Amino acid sequence: MNEGVTRRPRRSLLLAAGLCGAVALGNIGLGLHRADLLRNQAPTMLGIGMSWGGLPAAARAFRNRAAQLPQTLERTPLAAARSYLLIGLGFWLAGAALVGLAFGGLRRVRSDPHKAGVLASLAPASGMRSDFHWGTLAAYGLGFFLAESMVVLAYAVLAGRSLASDGAGFEPGVGFAISFGVGVLIALVGGFVGASHARRLAIPEATIAILYFGLPIPIVLSFLSRSPFLMMKLGHRLRELVYLSSLLGESRPELGYWLVFAALALALFLGMTIGFVATSSGRFDARFSYERFIASRHVGVFRPGLIVSVLAVLVLGVIPPLILLGIVRAAQAMAERVRIRRLGQTQPLEAARALHELEASAQTPTQLMTAISVGGVGVGVMALIIVLSVMSGFEDDLRQKIVGTHADGVVLKSGESMEDYPEVMARTRNVRGVVGVTPFLMSEGMVAARDIMSGALIKGIDPQSAGSVTDLPRTILPGGDLAWLTKPSSIPIAPDEAALVEEAARTGVGEGEGAPVELLSGIILGRELAAQLRVSVGDRVNLISPLGGAIGPTGPLPKAKAFRVAGIFYSGMYEYDSKLVYVLLQDAADFFNLKGATGVEVKVADVDAARSVMRSILDVLDGYPYRTRDWGEMNSNLFAALRLEKLVMGIILSIIVVVAAGLIVATVIMLVLEKRKEIAVLKALGVPNGGIVKIFLTEGLQIGVLGGALGLIAGLVWCVFIDRVGIRLDPQVYYIHALPVRIVPFQTALAPLVAVMVTFLASLYPALKASQLDPAEGFRSE
Amino acid sequence: MSAPLLEATDIAKSFFLNGERIDVLRGVSIRIEKGDLISLIGASGSGKSTLLHVIGTLDAPASGRLVIQGESVFEMNDAQLAQLRNRSFGFVFQSHFLLPEFTALENVAMPGLIARQDRKSAFASANALLERVGLTSRRDHRPGELSGGESQRVALARALMLQPALLLADEPTGNLDPATAAGIHSLLEEVNRDLGIAALVVTHNEQLAASLPRRLRLQEGRIAAVETC
Repeated sequence: MNEGVTRRPRRSLLLAAGLCGAVALGNIGLGLHRADLLRNQAPTMLGIGMSWGGLPAAARAFRNRAAQLPQTLERTPLAAARSYLLIGLGFWLAGAALVGLAFGGLRRVRSDPHKAGVLASLAPASGMRSDFHWGTLAAYGLGFFLAESMVVLAYAVLAGRSLASDGAGFEPGVGFAISFGVGVLIALVGGFVGASHARRLAIPEATIAILYFGLPIPIVLSFLSRSPFLMMKLGHRLRELVYLSSLLGESRPELGYWLVFAALALALFLGMTIGFVATSSGRFDARFSYERFIASRHVGVFRPGLIVSVLAVLVLGVIPPLILLGIVRAAQAMAERVRIRRLGQTQPLEAARALHELEASAQTPTQLMTAISVGGVGVGVMALIIVLSVMSGFEDDLRQKIVGTHADGVVLKSGESMEDYPEVMARTRNVRGVVGVTPFLMSEGMVAARDIMSGALIKGIDPQSAGSVTDLPRTILPGGDLAWLTKPSSIPIAPDEAALVEEAARTGVGEGEGAPVELLSGIILGRELAAQLRVSVGDRVNLISPLGGAIGPTGPLPKAKAFRVAGIFYSGMYEYDSKLVYVLLQDAADFFNLKGATGVEVKVADVDAARSVMRSILDVLDGYPYRTRDWGEMNSNLFAALRLEKLVMGIILSIIVVVAAGLIVATVIMLVLEKRKEIAVLKALGVPNGGIVKIFLTEGLQIGVLGGALGLIAGLVWCVFIDRVGIRLDPQVYYIHALPVRIVPFQTALAPLVAVMVTFLASLYPALKASQLDPAEGFRSE
Repeated sequence: MSAPLLEATDIAKSFFLNGERIDVLRGVSIRIEKGDLISLIGASGSGKSTLLHVIGTLDAPASGRLVIQGESVFEMNDAQLAQLRNRSFGFVFQSHFLLPEFTALENVAMPGLIARQDRKSAFASANALLERVGLTSRRDHRPGELSGGESQRVALARALMLQPALLLADEPTGNLDPATAAGIHSLLEEVNRDLGIAALVVTHNEQLAASLPRRLRLQEGRIAAVETC
């Protein structure tokens, strides 16, 4: 029976208009409150009355306002915070009352027998449709609110403990994954319960639930990151949350909150649709037997021809498969024509049948559209996988270079240089997960060769153990040797200097008669620095420290010492190759007038576990004055930037998938239009509305699943191609030889999952439309 | 007498066409007993099909009462209605309305599949039904490869798949030549006689209608005459 379609859009329209109006009013109020705001917002405010355009405008106004909030709060923190809270609460209650009134009114109209009668004569089934479900609203709202609070609380508990010294908690990433999973589950269940209670999607209820129960938490959290006062009041309780969000981008922890919010809203919606689909036939019925049977026949995506051709297009591009297809088709047609002609002469009936079959095998427009949709989803998934894998490759490369040059972690001592480094090394070496330790001394100075000078980071190392922690020995270019640091006499002397010495020896000027070449300590330079100074192995360079020399009449005098280049290294990171120089630990200590080392570098077995290993080292060393840092902490800005870049890239590329979802919407709508009569027949045969939804949802899902699978295969093929065959890059420009690629299983699996989810959501609308078709109308159209 | 199979009271239905109200049904009452074989005749546009759709719960009336097997239909939700259509009604339309992607056998088995019978038993009973309508040899053909009469027989077999209580036929022979129509007709009568399935047959073929035991005539939205042989 007709499901009273006409009522629902009107009601949600009303709701949307009301909300837009409320936002507009708030915006105007803000604008009046602050004249300059009004001036800034004027263009956007024009669009408010017509659409949801008011929301971003309000958000901007809100942000401007929030930017001023800290100052306001600093002046009279408590009173101001309270007043803001009260204003917010007032708005909340007023909105709730408005919604209550609106829906109460609707219900009164419905229960008025006279008006209901009029209504029924226009749209008879509307009398059978139930009203606004308060229970559903409660399920959605509480589910969403609970999900949000669970993410925050569970995360604070799980990860917060990891900061405690017992180390019993989880890594921040793992803790977040667990709490986020729990939150998503709760939102799913909330959506499921709500929708199965109402036996429909109940979009108005969901909108209200998200706006009224979902929004406050991310808003408060966003405020938190903007207001020092709130940060002080609440921040320490939520420090882990703030920490994790700040990983996304130093200055934008809000991004993290809103992403989680969006994900939870999506989970709620998914739960709703699942609940609706599973229970719309009156009782819980998750079976898909005949629905799948019918859907498979309708779309027919699992045809070998379609699969092969889409895969070929994804892997080889459009043109080559097209040419190939053209050739194959032409050959087929020719063979078939010859066969039919030959049959025609002997068996005309057989020939007619063959001709008929040939015509029947031609594709219908919908089938073609289906193939294109599969390809669209495939392209999106493939692009997502390739780009994310290449970005991971770059990240990996960067990490490799950073961790290869520096260590996985360092042990430092507060306030002074570490004179007891042998003991620290001995104790550190025994910690589980530690693979190698080496002392180091780090300071800044200048390197000079003849009249060229450059600033440098001078690192004193122990050549014997350095190799166990960093990749230094492996990055020394041929012609040099790390071991020469300890045996400076082995360093070959540059020919021009040797000639000079010989000349001096012959003429008796300079070094003294027959003096051997001066024995200088060894130094190792980066490739870029060596090129800049125009030196190679065996040449002399001077290390200059601005301080540390004798005290002259105008203060400390610079100190210089000559070294001989014992080797040149190439780490692949321009910053290191142009700035780092290595000398013997003892030489560095002497040169800088220091004792011992700056600290101890540590290599761990599993780079990703560096943080926890460093923490246990700190435990072994009894904490203060020692402290430890891992590579992630030392380069947090860089990796945060990379992560944000990847996230944004992922979101941008997901737009391709969304465009493909548009294709699916179009395809399924076409299917629905094409199958109107059959939908009527199916309803007459006893398929409930939920069954119709399931059929068309399955059709969209089949497209999505196949597209996702093909995209996954094609993406992996491309990644393997890039990895094995390689795409050359100019190392002078990119400082890397070939496009790096690393397949991360999790993110690779995520891409097709996102695609399937998007297609699920995309086919929901046409599926709902199909279920609302009036069967009598379908028969009448005949 | 026991409760009737179906009782429709004061069914009214209007359409709006270009803002004008057209009253198609103006208070129709029908009572169908178990095993009845009724013809519903009337001029084109007299509302025969609409009445059939209302009785088949495919369309909602503006007012009236419809009680089927003791249950008031307008108090049921969509799922219950779907189940009612699945189990208690068999529909045969003027045009066969078979699903074009499925073979004759699959089409006949469809109501069983919708009722969540397992495929094997559904196909077994569908086979038996195809045999009954004499189309075993055409079982793997799609509707596009069947003639009009064959399609209509497949449609009849599909309507009988779950042994409904009431067969609703909307001009089942309207598109067929007289000889084929007669064949379909005798099949209908046979089904009614052998299986005890009640049938309401909409037709404007007076001759065919005359051969059925009970005749209803719809005129200007009302039952004008009830004739019983």
